Amino acid sequence: MSSVTQIAPTPVAPAVTRPRSRKRLRKAGWNVLGLIVLAVMVFPVYWMVSTAFKPGHDILSYTPQWIPTHPVLSNFTDAIHQQFFWNAVKNSLIVTTVVVVLSLVLAFLAALALAKFSFYGRKPFIVVILGVQMVPLAALIIPLYILMSRVHQVDKLSGVIVMYLTFVLPFAVWTLRGFLLGVPKELEESAMVDGATRFGAFVRILLPLLGPGLVATSIFAFIQAWNEFIIAYVFLHTPEKQTLMVWLASFTTLRGTDWGPLMAGATLCSLPVIVFFVLVQRKIAFGLTAGAVKG
Amino acid sequence: MAEIEFLHVSKSYGDTPAVRDLNLKVGEGEFVVLVGPSGCGKTTALRMVAGLEEITDGEIRIGDRVVNELAPRDRDIAMVFQNYALYPHKTVYENLAFGLRMRKVPKDEQRRRVEEIARKLGLADMLNRRPSQLSGGQRQRVAMGRAIVREPKAFLMDEPLSNLDAKLRVQMRAEIARIQKALEVTTLYVTHDQVEAMTMGDRVAVMRDGILQQVDTPQRLYDLPANLFVASFVGSPPMNLFEANVEGDGAQLVFGDTRLDLGARSLRDYNGRRVVVGIRPEEVREASGWDGAHVRGRVLLVEALGAEQLVHIEIAATPLERADLVDAAAQPPGPSLGVEELERSVTLLGRFDRHLLLTPGEAVEVAIDPRLLHFFDLETGAALPTSDVPAVAGVAG
Repeated sequence: MSSVTQIAPTPVAPAVTRPRSRKRLRKAGWNVLGLIVLAVMVFPVYWMVSTAFKPGHDILSYTPQWIPTHPVLSNFTDAIHQQFFWNAVKNSLIVTTVVVVLSLVLAFLAALALAKFSFYGRKPFIVVILGVQMVPLAALIIPLYILMSRVHQVDKLSGVIVMYLTFVLPFAVWTLRGFLLGVPKELEESAMVDGATRFGAFVRILLPLLGPGLVATSIFAFIQAWNEFIIAYVFLHTPEKQTLMVWLASFTTLRGTDWGPLMAGATLCSLPVIVFFVLVQRKIAFGLTAGAVKG
Repeated sequence: MAEIEFLHVSKSYGDTPAVRDLNLKVGEGEFVVLVGPSGCGKTTALRMVAGLEEITDGEIRIGDRVVNELAPRDRDIAMVFQNYALYPHKTVYENLAFGLRMRKVPKDEQRRRVEEIARKLGLADMLNRRPSQLSGGQRQRVAMGRAIVREPKAFLMDEPLSNLDAKLRVQMRAEIARIQKALEVTTLYVTHDQVEAMTMGDRVAVMRDGILQQVDTPQRLYDLPANLFVASFVGSPPMNLFEANVEGDGAQLVFGDTRLDLGARSLRDYNGRRVVVGIRPEEVREASGWDGAHVRGRVLLVEALGAEQLVHIEIAATPLERADLVDAAAQPPGPSLGVEELERSVTLLGRFDRHLLLTPGEAVEVAIDPRLLHFFDLETGAALPTSDVPAVAGVAG
């Protein structure tokens, strides 16, 4: 009996290993491709950061310096001491914070209405929300500029905030609606039968479950508002009112580009987005509705 | 505890009626099951009691209050949903305590009640887990516990067992019935499963297309169905139904080449007309040793169930044409292929002792006791009154 069981697996073994090795090879191929894509994505960021630490002659030398051999911080001090830096920081923070908060509140309420109530014209409204996102922003800048100048909102942060909301809100509403539709309506109903008001059920049951959706939306709004350049560049003329992205452009002048401080400034500008993302990203991964209902 | 009463309640979505003129009273502490095929309006009726659905017409009372305009939270009822609707971001403890917290029950009282319920339902070790960490059966018990802990005036349950596997369902069926008896809470329970309805309810209300068909105890529903729909819906396997002529001044039933003497059960008013005849599978008997009419037929299929066997027997008779009067799921199987000598045939389902040896293709004779037959009007589907209500109806369980 034992001899039979020993013999049996032997002829099967090579047949199993061949497809397995082919599988491994294919996997390695995908991994290499992944690494190449990663390198292409990461290299500009690396080049920005490394350039920020290089002294001027290293930056302009014909043989590229892959690693800053004599790292300096002078580019950063130059950037910080550049005119209007702190103004730009303040302006960017104001614009971004207001856009994130307003878009979350407005989009949540709008998404709630779209997902949970039926009203006349709901479907066309949803289509419009999707449709407006397809219009290229560049095509809208001139008409919007005329519109905003009529209501005296050019060269004002409030004007830029309204502009940003026009393209952050449709996306945010659409995303949050999707998350809201994913929450079974029985959860609210159960809360209402258990003694909560309709509003109480929203706040106690729906809102906590929407965490990942709200985080995703806020990251999007933050990145959009913080990184936006064209609108800010067109709408904000006065140097004191410019945001960080417009301020970065001030390193490029008619006499040339001051690469070191520009890269240092760009590095500094990217930090808040990364910090914000690290702070909130844990919430995204956690699928909160798991286990609500029998799957 | 309180009564629940529907008074001429109707509900329509636009022009589509979901519930029509429903009158039903669930007595204090009573367990009433609303049963019917999907889309019959039973869940809508339940949701109207909960306040999750507006009432188009009529009145719903809980206790002595008309609740039509009352918000769900003010009705003091608890509901168990089909998909349990546990709050996924809250622990089992928080789920159980949610209703108490909403009603501002003091903290230590909350703790005492939640822990007591958790102990009773075997959830004491799981109070800190989240619903995603529980099995289906455990989630179901949390959903039950959340209803019980509130000590509401009434329980509303919307197919609470339909997401469980078959074994667990049988177990929880008994469990829920036991809990309801122990707590004596008025309960309205919705299901599409007639076995659940029959085993759990003090009374069963059968609905179809938004209309209440019959309300009665499970046994009376089985023995004296009010119409063809109830007859075909209640009972598994369903009642055998076929058409027959009434002759001989209402004393004889003729189908195929069979002439059945009705004895004392006269259908005088239907003399010369066609009626629908119904017989439960367990009343179809092997002929030897039985009086009454013998019907010749042929075995089509034998299904062994262990303790007994279900035998499909083809007999000569006219199948019931009015499919709209019966439960769609209980349609009798069609005639077999290649049976030329039987012009119109009906498959009679019989429940026989397992020791009876039958093989497909074999010719058999079965006995039908006219006292156990059910008669229905061919046009309306209503049960026909005979001059003699079967005295042996009690046997039919």
